[in-house]
Amino acid sequence: MTSFQSSLGEDEGIAEELAESQREISIAEFFEKNKHMLGFDSGARGLVTAVKEAVDNALDATEEAGILPDVYVEITEVGDYYRLVIEDNGPGITKEQLPKVFGKLLYGSRFHKREQNRGQQGIGISAAVLYSQLTSGQPARITSRPKGQSEAQYFELIIDTDTNEPEISVDETTSWDRPHGTRIELEMEANMRARSQLHDYVKHTAVVNPHARIELREPGLEEPWKFERATDELPAETEEIRPHPHGVELGALIKMLEATESYSVSGFLQEEFTRVGKKTADSVIDAFRDRHFGRELSWSPPSARSTVAGATNDDVADAVEAAVANKGAAATSAFAEGVAETVADNDRLSRSELETIVGNVADGVEDDTGRTFGSTVRENATAAAWRVIAGVGDDGAASNAADPDDADAAADSPIVADLYALVDGATSTRKDDGAVRAMAEALAFRIADLDGDAFRIARDDLDRLVADAAGFVADQHDATFGETARENVAEAVWSHARTVPDDPPKVRAVAGNRDAAADLLEAMRGTDILAPPTDCLAPITAELVEAGLRKEYDADFYAAATRDAEVHGGDPFIVEAGIAYGGEIPAEGSVELLRFANRVPLVYQRGACATTDVIRTIGWRNYGLDQPGGSGMPNGPAVISIHVASTNVPFTSESKDAIANVPAIEDEIELAVREAARELKSYLNRRRSMQQRREKRDVLGRILPEMADKVSEVTGRPRPDIDGALARIMNNVSVEREREDGTVRLVVENHSDVNEELEITDIVSAEPTDLSAGTVVDMDGEWFVQWKPEVASGDERELTYSVDGDADFEISVGGVETEKLTVNE
Amino acid sequence: MTTNTDARDQLIDLAADFYDQFAAGRIPEMELPTRTKSNIEYDEESGVWTYGDRTSVRSANSVNGARKLLKAAFTIEFLADQLDEDRSSTLRELYYLSESWDNDEAQFNSQDESNDLVEDLEIVTGATREDFHMRPEESGAKVMGPLRLREQTNRGDRDIHCQLDVGQGGYQIPNNPDTIEFLENDAEFVLCVETGGMRDRLVENGFDEAYDALIVHLGGQPARATRRLTKRFRDELDLPVVVFTDGDPWSYRIFGSVAYGSIKSAHLSKYLATPEARFVGIQPADIVEYDLPSDPLSDSDVNALESELEDPRFQTDYWEEQIELQLDVGKKSEQQSLASRGLDFVTETYLPERLEEMGVA
Repeated sequence: MTSFQSSLGEDEGIAEELAESQREISIAEFFEKNKHMLGFDSGARGLVTAVKEAVDNALDATEEAGILPDVYVEITEVGDYYRLVIEDNGPGITKEQLPKVFGKLLYGSRFHKREQNRGQQGIGISAAVLYSQLTSGQPARITSRPKGQSEAQYFELIIDTDTNEPEISVDETTSWDRPHGTRIELEMEANMRARSQLHDYVKHTAVVNPHARIELREPGLEEPWKFERATDELPAETEEIRPHPHGVELGALIKMLEATESYSVSGFLQEEFTRVGKKTADSVIDAFRDRHFGRELSWSPPSARSTVAGATNDDVADAVEAAVANKGAAATSAFAEGVAETVADNDRLSRSELETIVGNVADGVEDDTGRTFGSTVRENATAAAWRVIAGVGDDGAASNAADPDDADAAADSPIVADLYALVDGATSTRKDDGAVRAMAEALAFRIADLDGDAFRIARDDLDRLVADAAGFVADQHDATFGETARENVAEAVWSHARTVPDDPPKVRAVAGNRDAAADLLEAMRGTDILAPPTDCLAPITAELVEAGLRKEYDADFYAAATRDAEVHGGDPFIVEAGIAYGGEIPAEGSVELLRFANRVPLVYQRGACATTDVIRTIGWRNYGLDQPGGSGMPNGPAVISIHVASTNVPFTSESKDAIANVPAIEDEIELAVREAARELKSYLNRRRSMQQRREKRDVLGRILPEMADKVSEVTGRPRPDIDGALARIMNNVSVEREREDGTVRLVVENHSDVNEELEITDIVSAEPTDLSAGTVVDMDGEWFVQWKPEVASGDERELTYSVDGDADFEISVGGVETEKLTVNE
Repeated sequence: MTTNTDARDQLIDLAADFYDQFAAGRIPEMELPTRTKSNIEYDEESGVWTYGDRTSVRSANSVNGARKLLKAAFTIEFLADQLDEDRSSTLRELYYLSESWDNDEAQFNSQDESNDLVEDLEIVTGATREDFHMRPEESGAKVMGPLRLREQTNRGDRDIHCQLDVGQGGYQIPNNPDTIEFLENDAEFVLCVETGGMRDRLVENGFDEAYDALIVHLGGQPARATRRLTKRFRDELDLPVVVFTDGDPWSYRIFGSVAYGSIKSAHLSKYLATPEARFVGIQPADIVEYDLPSDPLSDSDVNALESELEDPRFQTDYWEEQIELQLDVGKKSEQQSLASRGLDFVTETYLPERLEEMGVA
């Protein structure tokens, strides 16, 4: 099965692919072939998938209409078949919409939308319709009552499996007690073996959609199972966004290029993508040029060179003058001087830049003298000046520059001098000067071999060229230019190369040229572009995540966290996590993990899901949950829910049961879960410390009277009144030491109503390290950890340190009345 | 010496303290010197180790503290009754006996706990566990030499001569040596010997008779009774005390505990330690001089020697010289390595030479 790679941005591709196969084979055959990936591979699973598709559809329809969803699901046995009825209180469906929604397989509108949507999850309700038709031979029965209409409409719908066209076989008026909504009735071959998944799905849907009212009836339930609404707040409406340049694949890009009405690439980028304006489009296009045309290498003009030998600035003027004929001495001379002067003003020049200079100077001279400098003259002058600057010969190549047999000429070549400076600057100072020079010459020799005299080269070709030169130098001069040195040299040369002024190819040319399109895609990905907007996402919000858990789980404690939006590929996403703990949640076995993608529960393939992987890697002991072996699923009375909302949730497979292991998403899942887990931890700590306080009161309340009895017995006096002593034992400040592996934590909790300043000394028999606070004093083989925390009323402070082996401890606490103090070691 | 009544009164006083604290509306507590190495100080004046000024408070304010004090109350009652009846028991018996107490919270979880509590009570009351009639499990070490003494046993007083009236094993030191009365002696000095093998060698060779020595077997780290008796030999009979051990850093600490006291019983140092005791050997110099068979020093030996250099007990010219020498040669030898020169070498050559050097015999 395809990996998530193909689902990252290629939903279009899959749809396209699937649709294509449809044309060749009958729809029934197609369905039969693909039912495993559509979620209909067994009767048990088919029923769950049908419920899932229908409920998702119902929730989407009601929410889009701004109606609080009220969804009714009923499963009954009808002879050899099961009948599934789903009702919602949505806006209803018109006859015209009917085929679109229920009929054509894979023609749902959502494939091209970049919007958080449930429907993105499945192939759609139409697959359920087809499945029921294929297994039972019965049509889909649909009742619809649009808002405000007095009568409802009843349809029967069959899909023509030869043409994949839906046909409405019955269309009549009926009465329905719901004021508005849609009812779908499907009969299908099925069984209830996946009852627990069905229940999970419905229950989890209720958890994650606290604004929905859901009712489930099925043969195994004695009473209908009702999930009431926990909030009247509808999820925020989502905005559809255009694709982000970082989130498209080549195939999709080519299709967009083919479909766009834009003429230029710049227009295309700005029109079709989010976060691309004129400036960003320009950056992308520059990057595109660099990839498509390559860059032109630039050289320093003669004036900038320190070499005594070689050309001078006057040579530039002379060469230009010699290249111009019949323009009159004054104009020619002004032209030649102008070019030479402007050239000298530049640090480095590429041939295109020289061409521009020549053009500008020619325009100026034309204005001043009235002489015309035509394109031939300009080109000749450019070529002549370029020969001087770059040392290229008449044959258009820098043959004299880097002929390896002519060492003197090579040394004098202007480009060797420039390359020498670049190589020298890019490599470490330890490189032998001879090796640097050999490298510069080897580079020059290869660069001179480039086509044309403008030294155009693409980055990957440049890398290869440098590698080749390095190989040559290694062979001939026994000097190594390693990976890093090569990279540095190539980067130095590249950064001194110039983007060419050529116009980028037009959209149509790019669309027709796969290489060009690939260059454009690379350019888009290589350009920094603002992250996509996040208003296309509708997180549940931490508050409602908690409300959902509260509604369905009778626990002692709830926590939830919603992260800020992040981006993976070009798609924004938000992760939310919630935890419920204690109460009626069963304490045996591992915690229950609820997984959601765009508000849809994921009930299959738990083990393959990124959410599960993340939960397993978290050290839950730190958060107060039992975790055998310190990794894996934690145990205990807890429910953890994770919701990933995105315009494109990456799944491991097309059946969309498990979220793929995308590092950016895993990181956010971990942060969200940890955020909620921290609250759990402090709750558990608080609970434990309360327990200890209670236990202490209980134990002391028992022991002290016994001790009083004993001392009165021993001393032969009457039993003393110990109420005063007991009254003082309402201690208020606790100091606790916990030790886990090599880490020691001292926690001070101040339960009194005043601030406390404590002086804590922990005497340790081995050297403590990594103190988070306080100081250590070494006293003859014993270490005094001293810490003076100020703890506000109701607050807590923590000190941690590491200590090896089985060190002994002795703690003493000052600064607090002993009556108020409890020390737990 | 404390009488039964004194010790009993001190225990009852402690219970009364608790009573008064309750009566005053306070939470009962008892204050003890902090019993860690850093709170042990060398008392220059008496030349022994004692607890420093740091104290920790055992308060009924915490669950653990309350349990400890409850156990203390039960233990006080038990000890007071024991003294009333003039009986005794072992530390281990106390641990098991706590099982019979009608209060689960008061029972001891381990013998360490009951041992520690008895030590706490010693410290707080200023009495010793012998005063409480508490015996350790192990039997005391033995003495052989020209001394006649009278021991109060529960079968009446017995007069015993430590050469004439005893077998080859010698006179067994009772758990409370304060029940011994010295009658007469011809002893010249006291020789404390670390290992049983060497003690037997000296006795077999008749060293005690030849030199009028009181040979005291230490048996590793000496028991309290052994140290107490040694101190009484010194204080009451005015005999010089010398200590003969293996030539390694751990044995030097045995000497240290005889002479200056130990950390665990620092509260009793003035009662147990004999600061006048002197070290016979095996000295590092002997290893070199007699070319004794030896083992190389291990890393922990070296560490122990180095920490002894820092130890105020060993900060004398003599010890510094010996320890530096030992670190230098990197060797250690056992007492019995003297046998490499013949079985009589120790009694005929080594000890006589060393004792003469020290001006003892």
